Amino acid sequence: MAATEEILAANPFADALRFERRVPECAMVIFGANGDLTKRKLLPALYQLAHDRRLPAAFSIIGNSRTPMSDEAFREKMRESVKQFLDDGPFSDELWGRMAPNIHYVAGDMSDPAMYRAVAEKVVEIEQPNVLFYLSTQPSYYGPVVDGLGSASMGESRPGAFRRLVIEKPFGHDLESARALNARIHAVFEENEVYRIDHYLGKETVQNILAFRFGNGIFEPLWNRRYVNHVQITAAESIGVEGRGGYYQEAGALRDMIQNHLLQVMATVAMEPSAVFEPDAVRDERAKLLRSVKIVTPEEVPQYAVAGQYRGFRDEPGVRPDSQTETFAAATFFVDNWRWAGVPFFIRTGKKLPKRATEIAIQFNMPPLSLFTAHATSEPQPSLLILRIQPEEGISLRFQSKQPGSGMRLRPVSMDFNYGASFGERSPSAYETLLVDALTGDATLYTRQDMVEASWKVVEPILNDWAARQQEFPNYDPGTWGPAKADHMLLRLGYRWRNS
Amino acid sequence: MTAAAGVHPEQILTDLRELWTSLARDQADGGGVLRACAMTLAVTAGDASDAELVRRTLGVLMHSHPSRAIIVRDVVGGAGGTIGGGADGQVGNGAGAPGPGAAVQQMEAHIFAECWKPFGSNQQICSEGIEITPGAGAPGNGGMAEVARFIVPLRAPDLPFVLWRRGALGRDNRRYDALLALADKIIFDTFDAPDAAGALTYMRALQTAGRRVGDLNWTRLSGWREVIAHLFDDVALDPDAVTSANVSYGGGRLTTSALYIAAWIRSALPGAPVIVDAVNAPAREPGGLVSVEFTSASDRLALRRAEGDCVEVTGAGRNYHSALPPVNVEELMREELGLLGRDPVYERVLAA
Repeated sequence: MAATEEILAANPFADALRFERRVPECAMVIFGANGDLTKRKLLPALYQLAHDRRLPAAFSIIGNSRTPMSDEAFREKMRESVKQFLDDGPFSDELWGRMAPNIHYVAGDMSDPAMYRAVAEKVVEIEQPNVLFYLSTQPSYYGPVVDGLGSASMGESRPGAFRRLVIEKPFGHDLESARALNARIHAVFEENEVYRIDHYLGKETVQNILAFRFGNGIFEPLWNRRYVNHVQITAAESIGVEGRGGYYQEAGALRDMIQNHLLQVMATVAMEPSAVFEPDAVRDERAKLLRSVKIVTPEEVPQYAVAGQYRGFRDEPGVRPDSQTETFAAATFFVDNWRWAGVPFFIRTGKKLPKRATEIAIQFNMPPLSLFTAHATSEPQPSLLILRIQPEEGISLRFQSKQPGSGMRLRPVSMDFNYGASFGERSPSAYETLLVDALTGDATLYTRQDMVEASWKVVEPILNDWAARQQEFPNYDPGTWGPAKADHMLLRLGYRWRNS
Repeated sequence: MTAAAGVHPEQILTDLRELWTSLARDQADGGGVLRACAMTLAVTAGDASDAELVRRTLGVLMHSHPSRAIIVRDVVGGAGGTIGGGADGQVGNGAGAPGPGAAVQQMEAHIFAECWKPFGSNQQICSEGIEITPGAGAPGNGGMAEVARFIVPLRAPDLPFVLWRRGALGRDNRRYDALLALADKIIFDTFDAPDAAGALTYMRALQTAGRRVGDLNWTRLSGWREVIAHLFDDVALDPDAVTSANVSYGGGRLTTSALYIAAWIRSALPGAPVIVDAVNAPAREPGGLVSVEFTSASDRLALRRAEGDCVEVTGAGRNYHSALPPVNVEELMREELGLLGRDPVYERVLAA
């Protein structure tokens, strides 16, 4: 009620329950507009938002890349991309016909100051007061683009108008470079104008973790070291690097997935409730959690982290024949706070694993006394709460139940919540959610400088150890759950991966 | 799919279970069937063709609000298509007597499933439904009370129960009291209420009695209201500077649309008088709203219904057209079913 009163005080006609958040008149300048991310994610997301009437009529897109082409040619290219990668419904020529006149293109090299002047002139020409800059480029261009925007005075907000910067991961390749990049960005943009995108946080199911935990009274009392035995976070892909060998070789699984996406997911699972649901309050709690993760010492790394590489990776295009890049990473983290002390968080990610699945499994302690051991037909199973992020988004609770018939034989059963069964239609894609958030100035689902630095601190000892060590790669077969050492990492502590 | 069922609720539930079994069996391509249900949605309908129309609407609604649908056929006396007492006046007199020509018959029920496949998915999502035709032996208040008793065990357990009470509000409102008593939310549509003020009085009384109500004719105004709200977001006018407002309607009939907008403006700008005027203009849309104007000491800001589902905004430095969202019944219901909790703005407007 207090929130409603505040909204009413600002605009007495506001109706937060009925009116969608309003995207203001705005130009979105995409650097790297000829790249895969723009074609596969950004333009389809913008098209879908236009379809859902979430964008203002004069919303403009200005694309930039090196390739010379006309506005018309760029529009045609984007049209084809949207048609190809739109996965939530058929393409409408009529809708595209309304969008296309507001799509523009400025060719030019990102190291050329003239290009930024041309972009600035285009923004003036189309009379858009607000500008969102989207860095969809290779990470090595982040610094030069920000410098270029600064030199063209394009990072300066004016009264009543905004300038915002959306930047894709990776934010640096280690702690030092992340700090350097942040310093370079802050020379042009204020921190509250910087939106570091982590598309995992835009997924409905990840957002639902907060609703699940803090919107219900029954789970949060169990959400601590007294009842939780351990947590497993798995992000498995069945495919390999699929033509991204060059990029992946420089990144590796730890940088590509754990440092950003999975540590953010872990922070969402383990954070304390914020006092209010406001961007900085929520991000403060995520940041606090990340700062509480125990940093392993160099000596502890082999015990708490395992790298793997699938057989065949070195034959991928763009990959060196002696590559030491990990395509699988697993790590054990502990959170040094009163809620989680002593509870291991096992995180793993990898390519060419048996199936595509991203999920969080929270395993609860066994009952203190087992009444039914004498009647057991199998090992007693602990209760398990599984938050499925993809595919088949949902939540399952596995618990013991009596098997029908005489005697008291127990068997694990599953109680399932499936998104489709309760909410029917499509959920917005992560990029739709995150773009609307950035355009309306809501940074809740974006990462902040302190969060980025905290997560680099967590993985840095592991990165350093792996960089200094000659790994025995390749060490796992495609279609398996990674190297045996990953299993041993858990077994040593008395745990097992869920490989179902 | 439709299957005949007995008239006992237990039998209907058994038949529903069998229906799900057969749906899963019939699914040839291996994608499976997902049983979707987030609420019970009871809907009043008239004759067979009206019930068919309701089925089609439910088929669309199920995509965003999967539910166990219960269609209550409310035709008494075999007279035809209207519900809740049509113009012929044969029903709804509260006498509890059969209408002329009504054959004494038992309550009937049929079950059905509405299924669809999301774009690009192999899995079929299905919601279930029950269509009930009350026995003609006990129409009037008694008939609906019997239906209400019948529905109680058919509600999806522990999920919200929404009643979409279709048809005009009027003299036979009391016939539905037993059904209304079951509902967590009751949705009306006062668009064609012959007595707009009377319809609002009735709903206000329900709200005062603790019922949660919604009105599709309020939902129809979301587009208008959003355009107005944006103008005040943009500070086109300072709310404190507005000295008066004027709401005009056409079509020769005062509707709840004009009354709602006026009450909404009054609740937002308590210091500014709001005048509601009939104008000699055709109503371009159901509800007949023609224009809304805000006046301050130095400015006049006008929103006028224009051709092509648009509102023309002029004054205070503005001159543009703003598109209104589609107002078909599916979209209206979709919005209304998305609000099963409190709706403070509507409650305030209805109470005013």
